[in-house]
Amino acid sequence: MKNTGFHLTSAQPERRLVNVFIEAFIVGAVGFAIAMVANSLSPRGLSLTRNYFPPAPTQVASATNNAGVVASPPLLATNASRENKLAERLAARGLRLIEFAGVRQLYQDPRREQELIVFVDARNEQSYLEGHIPAAYHFDHYYPDKYLPEVFPACQQAEIVVVYCIGGDCEDSEFASAYLVDAGIPAARLNVFAGGFEAWKTNGMPVEIGPRGSGELQQRQQ
Amino acid sequence: MNPPLQTTRSARAQDLTTLLARAVVGGLYVYMGLSKALYPVDFLKLLRQYNLFESALWLNIIAASLPWFEVFCGLLLLFGVAVRGTALVSLATLVPFTIVVWKRALVLQAASQIPFCAVRFDCGCGTGEVNICFKLLENSILMLLSAWLLLTPRFRACLWPEPVTKLRLRSASRVTP
Repeated sequence: MKNTGFHLTSAQPERRLVNVFIEAFIVGAVGFAIAMVANSLSPRGLSLTRNYFPPAPTQVASATNNAGVVASPPLLATNASRENKLAERLAARGLRLIEFAGVRQLYQDPRREQELIVFVDARNEQSYLEGHIPAAYHFDHYYPDKYLPEVFPACQQAEIVVVYCIGGDCEDSEFASAYLVDAGIPAARLNVFAGGFEAWKTNGMPVEIGPRGSGELQQRQQ
Repeated sequence: MNPPLQTTRSARAQDLTTLLARAVVGGLYVYMGLSKALYPVDFLKLLRQYNLFESALWLNIIAASLPWFEVFCGLLLLFGVAVRGTALVSLATLVPFTIVVWKRALVLQAASQIPFCAVRFDCGCGTGEVNICFKLLENSILMLLSAWLLLTPRFRACLWPEPVTKLRLRSASRVTP
């Protein structure tokens, strides 16, 4: 880097001000263009046109008719009110909420071995590899092209699909289910596990580490 | 022609402050921008929490472009290209973002009934969950440093500090021999 020591005493103050604004405009325009190119080249880049957070039908009707409207995220809420609201949104989408007891029953059901009951993990890749419900398929709905070819046939042949994310305020299971419905999986098959992976772990259920079918199981203490 | 550069102690202190301001603001922008650009979905989710955009298109555009834009501005400051213009852009983005973060903290404070400075949340700034008062202080320092870079009389160790001014001066000198 050369030591220019450049300064502007030869320019008029008002011209300097105009120059700074022109410079800022160029920085903004070039920066935005470069950012858009970087996003399109990045393997983790976002699609600009997709609505990642489609509102449930009743939300759309109450807010606006615009199909591109984003669902409002939940603010701080108690567990009970959170689950009630989730159940309402799921019902509006034709989906069902399922509690831990029901999920455990499905996990122990022999139909799971025949893949007639399928678990779908809607968290990101890192969380999935750190631990998931044994034999659960991974479906990060933000990158459907990567995961749908594997998860879609499994959901198509299953009788019951249980979709989960981390639990709590996490909405990824809801949006992943909505995406699967749009892709052609009947909504009646889909069950959203509200407690999510946190509830699974805290109840001492087995956890598979690494990719699906790695066989590396971890039985946690209740 | 530029007059000779001053080499007094105060001028050296100014140069050092400018250099430090560029390093701090530029370095932070690159770090924060990259931490968001590598996980754009996390940033998208955090941005959605602010309820700023009803339209999915605008939400996606901001979430996709802002992290890389920050990296770009950070690199310009670090290498000393269009420093004043970048400092103005930095100020123009920091002021509304700080207001938005502050408003969000007020909402969280009202919802959780805790003192304002006890509010902690991930503001989507690229540094994970932070204390709101620390975040506001950090943003204020960044705004002050950006204002310094905007107003400082001269630059050292820069590749192309004021390209527009320099190009206009050059074209003016060609017109009037």
